[in-house]
Amino acid sequence: MQPSIDAEALRLLFEQQANSSSARVVAFVGSLVLAGTILELVRRRRLREEFTPLWMTAAIAILVLGSYYPSLVAVTRLLGAWTPSSTVFFLGLVFLTGISLSYAVRLSKLSTQMKVLAQEVALLKSAAAAGSDGA
Amino acid sequence: MESIAQDPAAMQPRGLIVIPAFNEEGMIAHVVAAATVQTGFDVLVVDDGSSDRTAERARGAGAGVVTHPFNLGYGCALQTGYRYAHRHGYEVVVQIDADGQHDPADAARLADPILRGEADIVVGCRFFSGSSYTMPPLRRLGVQWLRFLLRSLSGIDLRDPTSGLQALSASVVRLYTSEAFPSDYPDADMFVLLQKAGYRIRELEVRMKERNDARSMHAGIGVLYYSYKMTLAMIMNVLRPAQRP
Repeated sequence: MQPSIDAEALRLLFEQQANSSSARVVAFVGSLVLAGTILELVRRRRLREEFTPLWMTAAIAILVLGSYYPSLVAVTRLLGAWTPSSTVFFLGLVFLTGISLSYAVRLSKLSTQMKVLAQEVALLKSAAAAGSDGA
Repeated sequence: MESIAQDPAAMQPRGLIVIPAFNEEGMIAHVVAAATVQTGFDVLVVDDGSSDRTAERARGAGAGVVTHPFNLGYGCALQTGYRYAHRHGYEVVVQIDADGQHDPADAARLADPILRGEADIVVGCRFFSGSSYTMPPLRRLGVQWLRFLLRSLSGIDLRDPTSGLQALSASVVRLYTSEAFPSDYPDADMFVLLQKAGYRIRELEVRMKERNDARSMHAGIGVLYYSYKMTLAMIMNVLRPAQRP
């Protein structure tokens, strides 16, 4: 005889096990450190304001999900996941994918601009050389 | 700068009108001609990578033209104009929009307090009693928010902190050629920086035509990003040390 398993009870067990105060403290401190680092980099002009929205969203998301555990449980259920920890990993992955894609787009634009700039410089050099030869 | 001081012509006040333009072939010639006639200043059009005949039309109307090889954004186009002005030793720079929204006659009025040494930056204000200028509610709310933030953070009460019609002294122009100047939307955040550095800011009432919102850089979802970015930039400028060239 195979023992019967109450799936909902098991799910609740997973959810409750993840609700530790140390995990909440780590998430809270982590989000503050992340937000503080972003703002300090902007203040020192080492990070431009237009690059911050994704990072600030991540910091706020960590703060909310980490500080208010029921929100993490709600997102977990919404995503159809079983454990809150897998939700955290999944959202982390989504964030990293988003930020990689965003940088890939910016990089593509920059390489196109760099190519055009190099061509413009080459044409200007050629025009300047032709001008000095003529003189 | 030294060569200008030795030049007798340089004894006269020298002003430059800077017009950042992106695909404005329809209006640019009219704006350049009006600015030249109304102010007597030199006119520089910064063609920000237009795909139409903006540069050609501007040159035909008598403006100096600097063309970006690709579109760099409004802030970058303005900064190119500031760099040009700084290199050529202009005493005052007036920036106006290429879409005909600004009346070039106001440019000379805004430049006056600077040429008289009474102000370092003069902002053209669209909002005053009797003004017919209107803007969409969301944008109006954004302007009010930035006005409140500016007053709270630095004590400056500008009725129109997002106005693009401004006259700048040579010293402000020099500051604006630095990395402190943003490449996308230079607006209320710069007033925080200027106030901290001790520059004198003044506001004068001007009449403006309403902008075609479909083409505005602050239209749609951009308003939200703009408000976020500007709020962050203003707070950061409060936290940064004062900067003066």
